[in-house]
Amino acid sequence: MLKPKTLTNVLSQANTGGVQCTLLLNREGTLLAYSGYGDKDARMTAAIASSIWLSYEKYGSVAFNEDNLKSYIVECEACCVSNGIFKLLLSQEGNVIVIKVSNVLLCMHANKSVPLGTLKAKITTLANYLEGPLTQVATT
Amino acid sequence: MKKKVLLMGKSGSGKTSMRSIIFANYIARDTRRLGATIDVEHSHVRFLGNLVLNLWDCGGQEAFMENYFASQRDNIFRNVEVLIYVFDVESRELEKDMHYYQTCLEAILQNSPEAKVFCLIHKMDLIEEDQREMVSPIVIKIFLTYFHSQIFREREADLIKLSKPMECKCFKTSIWDETLYKAWSAIVYKLIPNVQELEKHLQHFTEIIDADEVLLFERATFLVICHCERKPHRDVHRFEKVSNIIKQFKLSCSKLAAQFQSMEVRNSSFAAYIDIFTPNTYVMVVMSDSSIREFHFLSKHGAEIMIIISFLASAATLINIKNARKHFEKLEGVKTQNPPTAFAPR
Repeated sequence: MLKPKTLTNVLSQANTGGVQCTLLLNREGTLLAYSGYGDKDARMTAAIASSIWLSYEKYGSVAFNEDNLKSYIVECEACCVSNGIFKLLLSQEGNVIVIKVSNVLLCMHANKSVPLGTLKAKITTLANYLEGPLTQVATT
Repeated sequence: MKKKVLLMGKSGSGKTSMRSIIFANYIARDTRRLGATIDVEHSHVRFLGNLVLNLWDCGGQEAFMENYFASQRDNIFRNVEVLIYVFDVESRELEKDMHYYQTCLEAILQNSPEAKVFCLIHKMDLIEEDQREMVSPIVIKIFLTYFHSQIFREREADLIKLSKPMECKCFKTSIWDETLYKAWSAIVYKLIPNVQELEKHLQHFTEIIDADEVLLFERATFLVICHCERKPHRDVHRFEKVSNIIKQFKLSCSKLAAQFQSMEVRNSSFAAYIDIFTPNTYVMVVMSDSSIREFHFLSKHGAEIMIIISFLASAATLINIKNARKHFEKLEGVKTQNPPTAFAPR
C-alpha cells in the first residue's frame, strides 16, 4: 500500500537546497506522487522523463552491450527549443536526474546552482530508502 | 450457504417488480411488462460468491394466499431466514392487508421463529402524483416531505405494534428512486455471514490509504454491503444514489456490449474511483483533494514562505486498490486455483 501522507512527506524531504521538485512515476510515464514548489506540468515532466528513460534503455542495451541503465542526468537550459514537447521541459532551467527504484522511476529537478554530484548523492539516498518498501508494493 | 427469503404481500403490490430491478437488471420502466405471479416463483440468486439467496416470490392473489396458510403452510414457512412483506401504500383495504400480514407472522412464528422480518411500504412515489395539481411546486415539496414521513411513521408504528412478539423493520420504497436500494442494502446486510470481519478489514484499508470514504458494492446488484467513512458527509442517501446511478450506467454499457469496469470522477475538492474489486464486489474509494499543501517557513533571508505542493496521483490509488484486492479475495474465500469449467463433468 502506498500511504499518501508518508510517501509525499518522504519525497518532500528532498526539496531543499535548490531542488525544485521530486516525483515518482511508473515506467509508462504515469505520475504516482509529486512534491515540489508549485505543480507546473508535473504530469508532463513525468511523461518526458519516462520517455527518455525508455528510449535510452531500449537503444542503450544494444549500444552498450546490454548494460542496464541505472540513472541519467539531463541538463536543461533556459532557452526554448522549437520541438513542441521539449520546449516545456527545457524552459525550466536546471538539471533533471532520473533513477530507477524497484520497478518505478524517481525523478528530481534542481536549480543550476546544485552541483551534479550533490544531486546524484541526494537521489541515490532517497532511492535506497524507497527501494525496499516500493519492491513490496510493486505490482505494475 | 443457502438462505431462504420469502417475498410476500398483496397482489399487485410490486414484489416481482422490485425483485426484477434489484436482481435481474430490469430498469424501472420495464417492470410494466411483468404480469401477475402465479403461485410461487423460485429464484436462486448468487450473492457474494458463496451466499445463495433462495428467493420465494409468492403471488399475492387471495386464492394463493389462503393456500399458503393452509395446505402449503409447512412447505412455505419452514427454514425462512428473512421475510419481506410488501405493502402497497395506496391500498384501500388496509384492514385486510394487516390481517394477512398477521396470519403470515403467525405462520412464521410457528415454523421459523428465528426469521428476520422486514416491511416495505411500497409505491411511495404514487402519493406524490395525486397531489400534483396543487399550486406551487415548492409548497408541494415541503408538504409532501411532511406528508410522506407522516404517513410512513403512522404505518410503521402500526406495523411494529402488530408484529409483536417479532421485531420488524420498516422501509419506505419506490422503484423510481434510490429508496429501493436503501431497503435492500439493509436487508442483505443482515444476511452476509462475515460482515463484521469485512467491515473491520475495510476500515483498516481506508485508514492505510487515507481515504475519506470507501464503499463496497455487490457486483451484480450494486447494493452497498459494507462501508467505512472517515470524514462525515452531509448526504445520508449517497450510497443508494451511487448504487442507482452506477447501475443505470452499467446497464447502458451492456447495451453497447461493453462491460463496465472502472470509473474515475474528479473535481477540485475530491477524487472518486470505482473499480472492480474481488470477483463479487466493486469498490469505491473517495479521496479528498489530492494535493496536500505544506507550508515551509524558511528564515534564511528574513521571513520567507515557501509552499510545497505534494500529491498522490490517481495511478497510485489504483495501485493501492489493486494490492488490496488479493487480501479481500482471500477474505471472501475465493478460490483462484480452479476456475469453474465450462463443461460440467458427467
